[in-house]
Amino acid sequence: MRMHPLTLSCWLLGLLLASVVAGVALGSVSLAPDVVVRVLLGRITGVVAIDPVAERIVWQLRLPRVLLALLTGGGLAIVGVAMQTLVRNPLAEPYILGLSSGASAGASLFYLGFLPPLLSRALSMPLAAFLGALLALTLVYLVARQNGVLSVTRLLLGGVAISALMASITSFVTFASPSPDKLRAVLFWLLGSFSGARWSLLPLPALATLLGLFGMLALTRPMDLLLLGEEPAAQLGIPVERAKRLLILISALVTGTLVAFSGTIGFVGLIIPHAVRALTGVPHRRVVPLSFLLGAAFLIWADLIARLLLPGTELPVGVVTALCGVPFFLMLLRRGHYRFG
Amino acid sequence: MKPVQLLLLLLLLVLGACRQASGPPDGALTVTDDLGRTVTLPRVPERVVTLAPSLTEIVFAAGAGHKLVGVTTADDYPSAVDTLPRFSALPVNFEAIVALQPDLVLATDQVNNPRDAATFEALGLPVYFFSYSSLEDVLEAILTTGKLLGTEAAARRTVDSLRARLMRLAEVADSLRHRPTVLVLISDETLYAFGQGSYVHDLVVRAGGKSLTDSLSNPAPVLSDELVLQLQPEVIVVTAGADYDPARLLRYHPSWDLLPAVRNRRICGVEPSLILRPGPRLVAGLEALLHCLHPELARKLSP
Repeated sequence: MRMHPLTLSCWLLGLLLASVVAGVALGSVSLAPDVVVRVLLGRITGVVAIDPVAERIVWQLRLPRVLLALLTGGGLAIVGVAMQTLVRNPLAEPYILGLSSGASAGASLFYLGFLPPLLSRALSMPLAAFLGALLALTLVYLVARQNGVLSVTRLLLGGVAISALMASITSFVTFASPSPDKLRAVLFWLLGSFSGARWSLLPLPALATLLGLFGMLALTRPMDLLLLGEEPAAQLGIPVERAKRLLILISALVTGTLVAFSGTIGFVGLIIPHAVRALTGVPHRRVVPLSFLLGAAFLIWADLIARLLLPGTELPVGVVTALCGVPFFLMLLRRGHYRFG
Repeated sequence: MKPVQLLLLLLLLVLGACRQASGPPDGALTVTDDLGRTVTLPRVPERVVTLAPSLTEIVFAAGAGHKLVGVTTADDYPSAVDTLPRFSALPVNFEAIVALQPDLVLATDQVNNPRDAATFEALGLPVYFFSYSSLEDVLEAILTTGKLLGTEAAARRTVDSLRARLMRLAEVADSLRHRPTVLVLISDETLYAFGQGSYVHDLVVRAGGKSLTDSLSNPAPVLSDELVLQLQPEVIVVTAGADYDPARLLRYHPSWDLLPAVRNRRICGVEPSLILRPGPRLVAGLEALLHCLHPELARKLSP
């Protein structure tokens, strides 16, 4: 099923807009549509009188939350694209390659007081998560690389191993933590949640994600050529090593920041790029922006399900994405004829 | 084997078990614990270990604190436990407990895994499982502990005095005209609360309030910020210590500036073990709650 790229872009933009509207209109408390519209109109134009409780719910809780889900979904989806291209394998994803667990190990080391705060609290946690992500990805990459060739088997096994190692570091600091009252918060956050979202927290994830997006948009041609293989790409005049280093840096930056703000949310980076490739083909100038749009919409819906599924209580959003993602992953493993390049 | 034969065999086994239970040595006590298990104590226990902090407090309340030879690493009350040997209760450190040579192990299904009972039996250690889910159950558990440990009179005295305090609280609460709506939170950043069936709602009602989360079907719900905004609690109680800083709540949940509890500065912290630990100090927790919910009354109540 291939669509014209322009048609697809319009569809996805429409879908994203509809998702934002749904994410703002629905929640654990039901508000009448006209109340929601009044709040939005009132905040934007400043002339409509609004109910203060509804204003808090729609403008201060739901909207920043939806925007954080949008940034996280879009960011994780493009990181998925970057990693799949980097390792030339469709199974690469920040969660599977240990990137997310590296980030959460770094973040929980900091959160539970095992790392000193270098900057302000708001900046130190993303920094710790970024360094954890970078460390995990570098380790996996070094393990998988042999005589200049990246072995797919080693890569996946290395990813699983590093992922387990990082997860056990997280568990260790969680159990050894001197402040047991923080454990609940950590556990919730390890499965991913947008419940802490508010306007003042948005600039940093927005900056990291947009930096990643534009960085990758600038790298679309090298990424196309990388899929052919490193040697052909080098022969075509692509600075292969530099492109790969940039992709690693972008992946660690985006994943690290997003994990620090919303926890580890798996499988977005796996499902979305595949769905987009199936719809529009391989060229990265289309795959990157469209993956961003679809990933953003997907995670808004996943968060909405996490908020609505159980009355009066919130599920970690990582539970929902794993429930959708794992069957997809298994299906992909079964389908031997799946063509990547 | 035919079904009838199987049934007969089972019957024989059951009869055999009954005969064993009904023929203990002299001075032995055979009781049925809260899980329906038969527990035989050859003599009055003199060396007791508890597998949960609430049980330790119950043993002290029953007047048998001097019989404790070990408590869990989580125990912190009363101060007499500071000098006792410690062991891990989650998971149970069986080796350490065997080394203490107890003649009775007390457990509660609120904390401990009922399957551990079989392990204790195999080690030859009698274990009594409690199951309490209300203030009334806790008082009952104090009396039971007194019977098990041979300190019945002391246990009875404690329970009588606790009941007298409860009566006085009930009289005060009955005279109240306004019962504020209350939200009890276990933690302030991630909003863990109490759902249906928790004894905490009973405590809130006894303290002259109305708990807002008593009908949530999930027993341990994580509340959303917007749900709390809709519930509009008049008082918020956080079980994070009496020195809890109310400003934290607004820092983690800035959109709550509209709540009556926040506007009227009706946020208070209560010592977690007074509410979360189902022991005799629940009555003190109840008094602390009354202090939160009706500060003007509590002043009158204290002598």
